[in-house]
Amino acid sequence: MKIGRLPALVRTTTFRLALLHASIFILFSASLLAYLYYETAGHLSRQAEAELNAEFQELSAANRGGFDRLNQAVTERSGARGKFFYLLQDSTGQKSAGDFDFLPAPAPETQVVDVNFDYEVRDTNGRPVRRSAQGRISRLAGGGVLMVAYDVGQLGEMNRRITEVVWRSAVVGFVLSLIGGVVISRSAAQRAEQLARTAEEVMAGDLTRRAPVDGSGDEFDRLSEQLNAMLSKLERLVISSRSAGDSIAHDLRSPLTRLRNRLEGGLREDKVDGQRAALTKSIEEVDGVLDTFNAVLRLSRVQAGATGSFRRINVTGITDELAELYQPACEEKNLTFSYLPGGELFVQADRDLIAQALSNLLDNAVKYTPEGGSVTLSVRRLPGGEAEVAVSDSGPGIPPEDRDRAVERFVRLEQSRSLPGSGLGLSLVLAVAEAHRGRLMLDSAGGAPPNAGLAARLILPSA
Amino acid sequence: MKVIVIEDDADAAAFVKRVLGEAGHSVDVCGDGESGLSQARSGDYDAMVVDRMLPGIDGLELLKRYRDAGGRAPALFLSALGEVDHRVEGLQAGGDDYLVKPYAPSELVARVEALGRRATGDIPTTRLTVGGLEMDLLARTVHRDGQKIDLQPREFRLLEFLMRHAGQVVTRTMLLEKVWDYHFDPQTNVIDVHVSRLRGKIDKDFEKPLLHTVRGAGYRLEA
Repeated sequence: MKIGRLPALVRTTTFRLALLHASIFILFSASLLAYLYYETAGHLSRQAEAELNAEFQELSAANRGGFDRLNQAVTERSGARGKFFYLLQDSTGQKSAGDFDFLPAPAPETQVVDVNFDYEVRDTNGRPVRRSAQGRISRLAGGGVLMVAYDVGQLGEMNRRITEVVWRSAVVGFVLSLIGGVVISRSAAQRAEQLARTAEEVMAGDLTRRAPVDGSGDEFDRLSEQLNAMLSKLERLVISSRSAGDSIAHDLRSPLTRLRNRLEGGLREDKVDGQRAALTKSIEEVDGVLDTFNAVLRLSRVQAGATGSFRRINVTGITDELAELYQPACEEKNLTFSYLPGGELFVQADRDLIAQALSNLLDNAVKYTPEGGSVTLSVRRLPGGEAEVAVSDSGPGIPPEDRDRAVERFVRLEQSRSLPGSGLGLSLVLAVAEAHRGRLMLDSAGGAPPNAGLAARLILPSA
Repeated sequence: MKVIVIEDDADAAAFVKRVLGEAGHSVDVCGDGESGLSQARSGDYDAMVVDRMLPGIDGLELLKRYRDAGGRAPALFLSALGEVDHRVEGLQAGGDDYLVKPYAPSELVARVEALGRRATGDIPTTRLTVGGLEMDLLARTVHRDGQKIDLQPREFRLLEFLMRHAGQVVTRTMLLEKVWDYHFDPQTNVIDVHVSRLRGKIDKDFEKPLLHTVRGAGYRLEA
């Protein structure tokens, strides 16, 4: 691990979590060790304390029989060479009995005092050895002083060792937790680093890059999968907008070329009438280009969701008006127009966008249905409560394999190329449907081929 | 008509000036909001053409101030922003019409001329007359040369609009906007069919046609 990388490592969330875990581990093990200490070393000292209390009580009882009685008891006990050692002084401060020679602390005026002290004894070879003791000094009623103490050397050693073990375990535990945290943190940081690198490469322009997925199904895998799905969608969008750009250029090139030819023809024309005709044609050509341009702009705005004032409206109100608007055009082309209204059906929608979308569908139906055919506009409520507006015709329809493509920008299917149109009509209908959280369904109208007919259904959530 | 064009794009302004000039109107051009406002106030204009996005004060603000100061010349907004809410903003600011760029010159001329007519025709009328064609707005009846013509409600509104703008070119888009209240361009000839049906009713049995088709632009009702 490079030292220079450490600060970055420390900044990672995983590292902080590792640190937190280490701290919690320390807290837990400290409590555990404290309990251990309480039950072992603590128990021993409490036991010694209890014995000391008992010893003191017995001697107090002896004292109630007078100083001499106490003197005798102390002398006896000293001689027994038990766990305790004693010192009894009379009221003048002279040693009266016991196997210890001095008071390690000044005697209290009244009551008792607990003391810890060191003293020296000679071992078997006559060398001085320092030992620790713990005891109690009490002022007696008659002015004398009694001290009872016991050696804690053995107990102290145990305490020290237990304490040492506790501290060592704590330090080792902390270091181990930290190392674990760093390892976990490093592996997490590495995967985050991989994601960041993928993002960088994509930003540098390589849209085909994908984040690695190791199949473990963990959070990073899920994140990678999401990122990859997003990148795939982005790639598709970029490709489609690139191809849309190409299509715009291609779609505008032909009318612009025609326009140029007409204008040039007009320039060569000697007669005013001929010039006028050429200019009129040119204007029509330019109007067509402007229409395409407006349609592209409108489609982009709808797709970007940057348009529309949505309010609660009755779809049937719009279809009533459109039926009235389109019926004459149908009759003009000798098409049977039927309108099947479906009562009040409220949706949250932009009136103009819905009218535009339905008008595109009706335009298509009128345009592609051969004379003598039929066009039907119908509105109904679906069982799920959604509003469905359907435009069906008895034209050639769209083969199932072409239906997805038909809604793409500038796509003009084979049979429609001979007729005027921008190739944006169905794209706009789809965009309007999506802007309303609705759907566009293209199906066969169920006629006999070659005029299977098209049933285009715009489905909008009800409001 | 005397028209003031307030537009910061010099090319666009020159184009508007030429198009309106060729249609026989006198045009003054201002390049920014401040001078446009002061000139609109001082000159006696029949109509204003205002770009929405102007340096200094923008088109909406300009027209609000102009209206607050009592200016009455009808105004047409030109804008690249063409959604319904933008139109509504324009109308709320005191605009009378709204034309989205890019537009056909014939559309601009038709709309500006329609504005001028509105300014002079403010007096409420109950009768419209074009040649031998008479419309009674109260009784909702139409006669030509004394002969009653039966019209559907929509046909009545269509004819009313054409008669109010008699002598002017009205475009298909204008008809869809003003008669049907929709703001989009149908690809097929739906409007033409409605107009030709109306023509069948008001012109068919009469020697002199009143409803004329203007190629590449729209229609004109004229005696």
